[in-house]
Amino acid sequence: MSESSLSTSHLETIAAQATPPGRGGVGIIRISGPLASLVAEQVLGKVPAVRKAEYLSFRDENQNVIDQGIALFFKAPNSFTGEDVLELQGHGGPVILDMLLKHVVSINKVRMARPGEFSEQAFLNDKLDLTQAEAIADLINSSSEQAARCALHSLQGDFSKLVHQLVDDVIHLRMYVEAAIDFPEEEIDFLADSKINNDLKAIIASVDGVMAKAQQGAIIREGMRVVIAGRPNAGKSSLLNALSGKESAIVTDIEGTTRDVLSEQIHIDGMPLHIIDTAGLRESPDKVEQIGIERAWKEIEQADRVLLMIDSTKEAGDNPKAFWPEFFERIPQNMGVTIVKNKADVSGIATGQTLEHGAPTINLSAMTGEGVDLLTAHLKECMGYEGSTEGGFMARRRHLAALESAHQHLVSGLDQLESFVAGEILAEELRICQQHLNEITGEFTSDDLLGQIFSSFCIGK
Amino acid sequence: MWYQDSFDVIVVGGGHAGTEASLAAARMGCKTLLLTHNIDTLGAMSCNPAIGGIGKGHLVKEIDALGGLMAEAIDHGGIQFRTLNSSKGPAVRATRAQADRLLYKNYVRNYLENQENLTIFQQPCDDLIMENDRVVGVSTQMGLKFKGKSVVLTVGTFLAGQIHIGLNNYEGGRAGDPASQNLADRLRDMPFRIDRLKTGTPPRLDARSLDFSVMQAQPGDFPTPTFSFMGKQSDHPQQIPCYITHTNTQTHDIIRSGLDRSPMYTGVIEGVGPRYCPSIEDKIMRFSDKDSHQIFVEPEGLTTHEIYPNGISTSLPFDVQMNLVRSIKGFENAHITRPGYAIEYDFFDPRDLKQTLESKFVENLFFAGQINGTTGYEEAGAQGLIAGLNAAQRSQGKEGWTPGREQAYMGVLIDDLSTLGTKEPYRMFTSRAEYRLLLREDNADIRLTEKGRELGLVSDERWQRFSEKLENIEQERQRIRGLWVQKDHPATEQLNPMLKNPISKDANVEDLLRRPETRYDDLMTIEAFGPGLNDKQASEQVEIQVKYAGYIDRQLDEIDKKKRHENTLIPGDFDFSKISGLSNEVVAKLTEARPETIGKASRISGITPAAISLLLVYLKKHGLLRKSA
Repeated sequence: MSESSLSTSHLETIAAQATPPGRGGVGIIRISGPLASLVAEQVLGKVPAVRKAEYLSFRDENQNVIDQGIALFFKAPNSFTGEDVLELQGHGGPVILDMLLKHVVSINKVRMARPGEFSEQAFLNDKLDLTQAEAIADLINSSSEQAARCALHSLQGDFSKLVHQLVDDVIHLRMYVEAAIDFPEEEIDFLADSKINNDLKAIIASVDGVMAKAQQGAIIREGMRVVIAGRPNAGKSSLLNALSGKESAIVTDIEGTTRDVLSEQIHIDGMPLHIIDTAGLRESPDKVEQIGIERAWKEIEQADRVLLMIDSTKEAGDNPKAFWPEFFERIPQNMGVTIVKNKADVSGIATGQTLEHGAPTINLSAMTGEGVDLLTAHLKECMGYEGSTEGGFMARRRHLAALESAHQHLVSGLDQLESFVAGEILAEELRICQQHLNEITGEFTSDDLLGQIFSSFCIGK
Repeated sequence: MWYQDSFDVIVVGGGHAGTEASLAAARMGCKTLLLTHNIDTLGAMSCNPAIGGIGKGHLVKEIDALGGLMAEAIDHGGIQFRTLNSSKGPAVRATRAQADRLLYKNYVRNYLENQENLTIFQQPCDDLIMENDRVVGVSTQMGLKFKGKSVVLTVGTFLAGQIHIGLNNYEGGRAGDPASQNLADRLRDMPFRIDRLKTGTPPRLDARSLDFSVMQAQPGDFPTPTFSFMGKQSDHPQQIPCYITHTNTQTHDIIRSGLDRSPMYTGVIEGVGPRYCPSIEDKIMRFSDKDSHQIFVEPEGLTTHEIYPNGISTSLPFDVQMNLVRSIKGFENAHITRPGYAIEYDFFDPRDLKQTLESKFVENLFFAGQINGTTGYEEAGAQGLIAGLNAAQRSQGKEGWTPGREQAYMGVLIDDLSTLGTKEPYRMFTSRAEYRLLLREDNADIRLTEKGRELGLVSDERWQRFSEKLENIEQERQRIRGLWVQKDHPATEQLNPMLKNPISKDANVEDLLRRPETRYDDLMTIEAFGPGLNDKQASEQVEIQVKYAGYIDRQLDEIDKKKRHENTLIPGDFDFSKISGLSNEVVAKLTEARPETIGKASRISGITPAAISLLLVYLKKHGLLRKSA
């Protein structure tokens, strides 16, 4: 009868990668909820027969084939979550899976699942035993903690600056729009002047910039930063070369050969990693080298993980925390550190991975390449490739999805302002835009907004 | 001694909350007692004589949609009516009226006196009569005891009120009335969390001492809007204008020179005042770059010379008030009839209330109005109505009801208060409502009247008119959906000039109305489309529903998404610290707010989706997962 007689039920449809990113040859995207069959139609061109594996092409929004693989459809309640479930099992690497997921969550009313949400749903729908409650709680806890860490990583560097600037700009704009709506008697009718229009256009332009970069894959493929640090001549540059398979760095036996920061991108199972070689850390009278060492520290502080190189011919067997306390004091708290004991071929220590003094330690020889594969496997593990479904990719995808939605609402807000002069609709678009941005930067409530208004404008009779 | 009769519902306090509470209960057929310390102040406007405004007008229309009095009273007592934001979209348009205090008050009192099932009694209420954790009645100053199945407390500024003028201060309710000290002391002994707020008023002026010729006149709108769904323009008394003047640098200098005797700036006042209604000394200190502030010069009525200069609320000493007033253009010879003052008062942490406004600690005891930390007649009236209807339901052994955030500003108000609490006197703004496009003044009836009828709040007359309107809307929407035009249709001659882009393919009139540039009334002048509806309320609704359709649908989707666990109950005595994995901060926040439902918990600042998931999993594991009715 009226707009207020509301239907209930009608739950959300959620999607996420269901397999640990990067591991093995198969990656699964799981979609759960009432729109699972719609997603199937859009990605596969059909809904697969219930519980029958079908080999199909996976397409993006432009009907281009992204990947081929097995599709499985389960009808509620006979599925893992108790809702309609679609599983897409592709063999693409993380980038391909990401493209697929991006398409899925771009479908109206489908959103990214929160960490652990499939299991939570399964539990709440009586699909899991009550005795598994603790396990589910642990899963939610650990995976959301990890997601938070990944999100933090995703938000580094230029991307972070752009996003925060964007959030500030949107808040500023909302302040003007909402003040004009809620306080029409205060002689602050900003909707009537061109400021809001201009500001809005500027914000859209800056989001366009970020989006363009994202489209080229620049942001999504940025990857994790692994910094190789250590004393001069520990073999850091040799390791960089060994990992990248190229002669990127000049290697000599002269201490202090590397004076600046060298960066090389490598791929592990299609997942990009930035390996950064730094100047050896020491007190140096050489001005140029000093600058290099400062830069090295800067890289260490921004790293996702630090590989601390040790020359096993000189310092084997000792606890690095004991012989190099300054290093451990200076690195950021909670920074993941892997000890790499190099020159195993010379010192004669056995190559392999151990846990020494609480830190993962890998013995290898960068010169001969022996043990380097262990390091690669270890890096995969550290990057959240294993044991969790919330990798760095997922975090970045979340952020980009939020940004894309925010962009859409900004554009239609501008359209509303220009063709309707409809301030309240612009306000609505901006509110939703902010909701999406909140997913990246944290909540901003209507009371926070009012606070901004009252501290910026003198309001009140 | 016990009073001879016992009541279903006892309402303590006869302000705007008490009025709506007692009327609602009485309309629902409950034997109701309105206990007031002074019958002569029933319906009094203790602050500025105006009703409505952005967000507040919305509340008044909602009170009206549930059969409440406020809209009808202001329709009969308003002396200047305006529609604010009329240049903006319908969702944010709001009605505001200047009131004649006396007309308004008399209308309210007369209405109360004639309400069936309602008994009015004058005596200060001193105590609650308890039976274990249940309230069973109240007792008055002279020891008279009233038995009641449920009790609504609407005691406003009278609770431990402290009035400040300069560095002098004394106990009092609104200026001229005593504070309810005994009741305040009694309530302080109960397990409620109590805090203090502050508000203020400007000095009142004698119109005969003002020079209106140098001020800007602000007439009302014509034709005058009405508040009540059932209202008519002929309900309105004589209309008169308000005026606008401004403070100046001299005014500001005078204020600065008096700050050493300001209770605010010397720390005498501890209560927190509203950010949106600062005193003039606050405005000048916080926005020192502004050398002028607006003052709305509002008449208090048709039969009094008193003027309410809205915008210079102050608690400065009287000599400073005098000087600052006289520095203002048009006020050079002003005579102050009553000094401005600040008042501090107790309020009860509204997070100790259920969604029905019943106390979480004392069964059958309901709180409404300023006692819950709100400010404004409209906010008070809205809570009064909801508390009254829930007290009535309770006395009849029925389920309570409060509108949701998606249904009414009343819902936003009560959910905000009971979930988040408040740190300043809470006032409604449209930006507080996430479903603002749905919660319009124009559809308050569509949102609420049906429920009101079901509860027994809505009269036959209103229900009949409402049903008629709904039918008109439905029929008209069907009619225009079936009216088609083609490119070469004769109607295009009249139609195309109304359109930005002439029609290029077949369209029905609903499609045409959806275009931003068209108006229903204009389209209906085209012979092939007209005549339109005579029922203006219905045709307005058709137009808004069609134009907003996309946005309405999107908000409805958003509401759907949130419905999932919205009403999933959390047991009242739930120990949040038992859930492993929740951070100490989250446990502390949940313990402090005691959310009744998962929906409420999710709205508490700092409660993450992961925390909600953990909560759900825990409730499920322990078999506590259930939906409220």
